[in-house]
Amino acid sequence: MSNVLAIAHKELKGYFASPIAYIVIGFSAILFGWFFINLLYYFDRMSMQAVAGFGGGPQSMNVNEVLIAPLFLNVSVILLFTLPLVTMRTYSEEKRSGTIELLLTAPLTDFQIVMGKFLGGLVLYAAMLAVTLVHIGFLFAFGTPEWQPVATGYLGLLLMGACFLSLGLFVSSLTKNQIVAGMITFAVFLLFWVINWISSFTSPTTQGILNYLSITEHLNDFTRGVLDTKHLIYYVSFIAFSLFLTIRSVDSERWRG
Amino acid sequence: MIEVQHLTKRYGPTTAVDDISFRVEPGEILGFLGPNGAGKTTTMRVLTGYMPPTEGRAVVAGYDIFEQPIAAKRRIGYLPETPPLYPEMTVRDYLTFVSKIRGVPRAERRARVNDVMERTRVADVAQRHCGKLSKGYRQRVGLAQALLHNPEVLILDEPTAGLDPKQIIETRQLIKQLGGDHTVILSTHILPEVSQTCQRVVIINKGRVVAIDTPDNLTSRLRGSETMYVQIDAGANGAVQDALAAVPGVTHVAQTESRGTVASYEVNSDSGRDIRRELSAAVVNRGWGLLELRPLRMSLEEVFLHLTTEEAPHE
Ligand SMILES: Nc1ncnc2c1ncn2[C@@H]1O[C@H](COP(=O)(O)OP(=O)(O)O)[C@@H](O)[C@H]1O
Ligand SMILES: [Mg+2]
Repeated sequence: MSNVLAIAHKELKGYFASPIAYIVIGFSAILFGWFFINLLYYFDRMSMQAVAGFGGGPQSMNVNEVLIAPLFLNVSVILLFTLPLVTMRTYSEEKRSGTIELLLTAPLTDFQIVMGKFLGGLVLYAAMLAVTLVHIGFLFAFGTPEWQPVATGYLGLLLMGACFLSLGLFVSSLTKNQIVAGMITFAVFLLFWVINWISSFTSPTTQGILNYLSITEHLNDFTRGVLDTKHLIYYVSFIAFSLFLTIRSVDSERWRG
Repeated sequence: MIEVQHLTKRYGPTTAVDDISFRVEPGEILGFLGPNGAGKTTTMRVLTGYMPPTEGRAVVAGYDIFEQPIAAKRRIGYLPETPPLYPEMTVRDYLTFVSKIRGVPRAERRARVNDVMERTRVADVAQRHCGKLSKGYRQRVGLAQALLHNPEVLILDEPTAGLDPKQIIETRQLIKQLGGDHTVILSTHILPEVSQTCQRVVIINKGRVVAIDTPDNLTSRLRGSETMYVQIDAGANGAVQDALAAVPGVTHVAQTESRGTVASYEVNSDSGRDIRRELSAAVVNRGWGLLELRPLRMSLEEVFLHLTTEEAPHE
């Protein structure tokens, strides 16, 4: 465990020693703020209409459903652009500069190395999410949203991001070139993001499969405050499988030399 | 302390290391001498567990590097050909990180880091970023990194490459001090380097071991003597080396390999004198089997031609 923490710590220091951490956190804060303001404006207008048209009063407009849930779903857009930056150098840069030789000849297992890198990325991502707590805190200060959907929503976001991170680690382990790694990671993320767009044109079975594969599709229930083991299992097995592939990739690279 | 047995490493169709075997005794400094592309780096990468061999095995500090990699790696300090530094880390942070993954106990880390920085003379750049170091400092931080956990075995790939003459002398002195307490393998393509630092030399060319001997004997061979390779099946009789040395004209005999009753020798003789007749007679008259007898001189010369004999720093 201390080995995993040592690697994670090193990764985190690397992020903050380069512009990556600041770009990722800054960019996500700005985008999140933009989505937040837009949805807030929309929410405001909707509540006005609700008052004028149907006389239900603002109370009937649920801030969780109309504002927080869509806001969380929009975060996947942010991850699409930022998380490739987080993972692209993890293995690629070590391979290019030769520091991978230090890690692979130290008394560490491949599992410890990949877990350390994964954990480092995850902590940076958690810092990214932590910034968004400010906006959500604002809603709690001026309104009375339910906290459960917010909590499960954050859990969902953390898991979804972890999926992207583990996938990015795997792509990074395939090439020496971090730019190539970043671009492929983005392309693969995009694929998982849009995979269910065509599902409505296909047969019900295909539709089910495509929806199941879509990383973002599984986030819906989390943002509504529903904790379904189906989604938990999807995310956790996605992460485990990507990390497993990463270990295999590092090991097969060894054999090829 | 280190035992390499019939090690072969192929990269696809290229055979980088071809069936090499040698041993290193505890406390010994062994030089690994060969021109560029000889397979030195590849051998070291196998010995340090960076990559598995295609065939053969290596036992380091009592542990098979492939079967028990973690136990073996704990006992190895390794300076790769390119010092593995993280440019954005300061020298001190870097060494602290390496001491963590090398399993140095928390309480000893600070002292160990300070100690190796002293010994490798990098203490003055402790707060500098690794990416901003000169080649000489980078090489020495790489060496510092290899010493952190006080390993039984040190594997140093071209430790003096890129250093200026003064630094080369200092580094060689440091390596010599390390011998005795540590078992050291260092690679180089500079001939004088091995005679100054090493007790024994393995000469490797095109992936094959050409000679294993002391630097003095190698130098005398270089001065125009001839070398014969003989393989003898002497049964239970052990005094082959003495018998060969007693042949007129023979100046030196070294055993290179032995398997069961069969052993291989390299026999040196004065140049210009063909000792093949006397040599075969000496073997056959004792009732031993002469399995192979051929001159080695050409291959050795070929290797030496490609070695750098000048002390001037390269690159
Ligand atoms: N990763 C690799 N892939 C393919 N061939 C390699 C690789 N590394 C080394 N080689 C080849 O193996 C041979 C031995 O290389 P190396 O071990 O680096 O020699 P040295 O360290 O003695 O200069 C060379 O012919 C080299 O081109
Ligand atoms: Mg080399």
